[in-house]
Amino acid sequence: MEVADLAGKIFSTWLTLMLILLLPSAFGVSLGISELYLKILVKTLEWTTLQIEKGVPKESALKNSASVGIIQRDESPMEKCLSGLRGRDFELSDVFYFSKKGLEAIVEDEVTQKFSSEQLASWNLLTRTNINFQYISPQLTTVWVLGVIVRYCVLLPLRVTLAFIGVSLLVIGTTLVGQLSDGSLKNWLSDLVHLTCCRICVQALSGTVHYHNKQYRPQKGGICVANHTSPIDVLILTMDRSYAMVGQVHGIGLIGTIQRAMVKACPHIWFERSEMKDRHLVTKRLKEHIADKKKLPILIFPEGTCINNTSVMMFKKGSFEIGGTIHPVAIKYNPQFADAFWSGKHTMMSYLLQIMTSWAVVCDVWYMPPMTREEGEDAVQFANRVKSAIAIQGGLTELSWDAMLKRTKVKDTFKKEQQKNYSKMIVGNGSLNS
Amino acid sequence: MAFADVDGPLVIFSSDQIEQLHRRFKQLSGDQPTIRKENFNNVPDLELNPIRSKIIRAFFDNRNLRKGPSGLADEINFEDFLTIMSYFRPIDISMDEEQVQLCRKEKLRFLFHMYDSDSDGRITLEEYRNVVEELLSGNPHIEKESARSIADGAMMEAASVCVGQMEPDQVYEGITFEDFLKIWQGIDIETKMHVRFLNMETIALCH
Repeated sequence: MEVADLAGKIFSTWLTLMLILLLPSAFGVSLGISELYLKILVKTLEWTTLQIEKGVPKESALKNSASVGIIQRDESPMEKCLSGLRGRDFELSDVFYFSKKGLEAIVEDEVTQKFSSEQLASWNLLTRTNINFQYISPQLTTVWVLGVIVRYCVLLPLRVTLAFIGVSLLVIGTTLVGQLSDGSLKNWLSDLVHLTCCRICVQALSGTVHYHNKQYRPQKGGICVANHTSPIDVLILTMDRSYAMVGQVHGIGLIGTIQRAMVKACPHIWFERSEMKDRHLVTKRLKEHIADKKKLPILIFPEGTCINNTSVMMFKKGSFEIGGTIHPVAIKYNPQFADAFWSGKHTMMSYLLQIMTSWAVVCDVWYMPPMTREEGEDAVQFANRVKSAIAIQGGLTELSWDAMLKRTKVKDTFKKEQQKNYSKMIVGNGSLNS
Repeated sequence: MAFADVDGPLVIFSSDQIEQLHRRFKQLSGDQPTIRKENFNNVPDLELNPIRSKIIRAFFDNRNLRKGPSGLADEINFEDFLTIMSYFRPIDISMDEEQVQLCRKEKLRFLFHMYDSDSDGRITLEEYRNVVEELLSGNPHIEKESARSIADGAMMEAASVCVGQMEPDQVYEGITFEDFLKIWQGIDIETKMHVRFLNMETIALCH
């Protein structure tokens, strides 16, 4: 009898808690709970940092390694380094320069770095970021244990329930809306369903998002372009306005079901895998979509894959050849509260688990003024221009490497460039000693 | 943990640096205990390097690994990795003259091995041409002939330094290691062939 009573009491408190968290966020109203939570969190983490600084001896101070780089690279151009000791003809010593460069690349290359999580300057009480920090003091360990309990036993169940509710509502809601005939009512309802479920899902991650420059929010008939860090980017952006998404159909499974439901309510653009390879088909469908000014703006991630949020890699020119107005958006996560980067090594489920047991997901979204392709600018230059703008706004570094190098090899054309430069130097000046 | 040099008790890498290199080793090897040649294919920066194959080969060269007079190893472990890295350590100001000379000789020997691919102790004209061709391989406008003539010219210059005036029908067999050292005598190569680690402590405290 008592057990049943207890169970009943727990269940009802659970339910009330759910409703308190769920309803306000579903309607976009904030109760201030998140802000309070974050304030407490920040204070705790500050205390942690102070503890670490006190506890660690001077010589082996905080290690801030991989994100800064471990070797000093000589970035001066090839010409300067090779202007040798005996004039500009070919010398044995040129091999020195290339061996050194080769070894530097082996010790540290900037591309591989971008696919591993950012290292923090100070521990944020999550074991997964604890590579560099050793045992400091009993107080710190106690706080850490408390943190684990809070995260796994209190936050995780809450979040999982919320996420479940959010996803189910999305699937049910979009299926229902899909039954209606096309028209403004359908669009309005579809918007409502998407926004509400998105807000619930973001609440499920304890997400706090600051939107800057809302006046530049992407308009209908445009293309929204953003840097990619994780699948959550989609949730973060959709929380403010709905987009038409572009992507591959996932077949069976959770994501596939969600995709099929969503497309009933509003025209997202899902491709079969075989179609993705046919670039003309893709471009044609996208062009048709933006030609209709009543349709939602398309959301595209031109990098093609997830990067670790410290830099922006090459934007593929495909999205920039369609025409239309590009609305760039920069997304920057705060690494202190969670590591949002999805490296392909984890499955979706383990990634979600990791996010749901982090403190919170705090990020900034900057909307930027729309850009269009200028006269005499080709797609690649335009892509680079947009990429620079996003990098500057988000405070990220820029790389011109292709993010797909995560899975493929460097194209031969790139390789030949370096060799061409070198051989031009030797032969180009006409100084062949034959 | 100090990494002891074979020729003397020099501390080459600090424990911080060894930790960093170990992490990098694991990244390159895909968490395996050894690295094979294929693992170097995952370094995009390296793809741009014209003498890429020679550099990778140098990692597996038994002469560099101090495992034998010739031949290639199939795979290297972390200790071998550190051995190769040690050829590129910067010259420390605290080193005395003898150690500096030793360091220099080791670096030049590493380079010599890169040229001397058949391990016979001499850089022949063929081997030299091979290196020049690799360096210039990317440029489609340079024919093999130009590459050859560059190599021939450089070889003649090396011969004049090492052997002095040659008889008209004297054949120069190749550059030996002593000749190689002679070419570089008095010229400062130390700064051209080192990889300098950033000092960890100075970065860490600013946040």
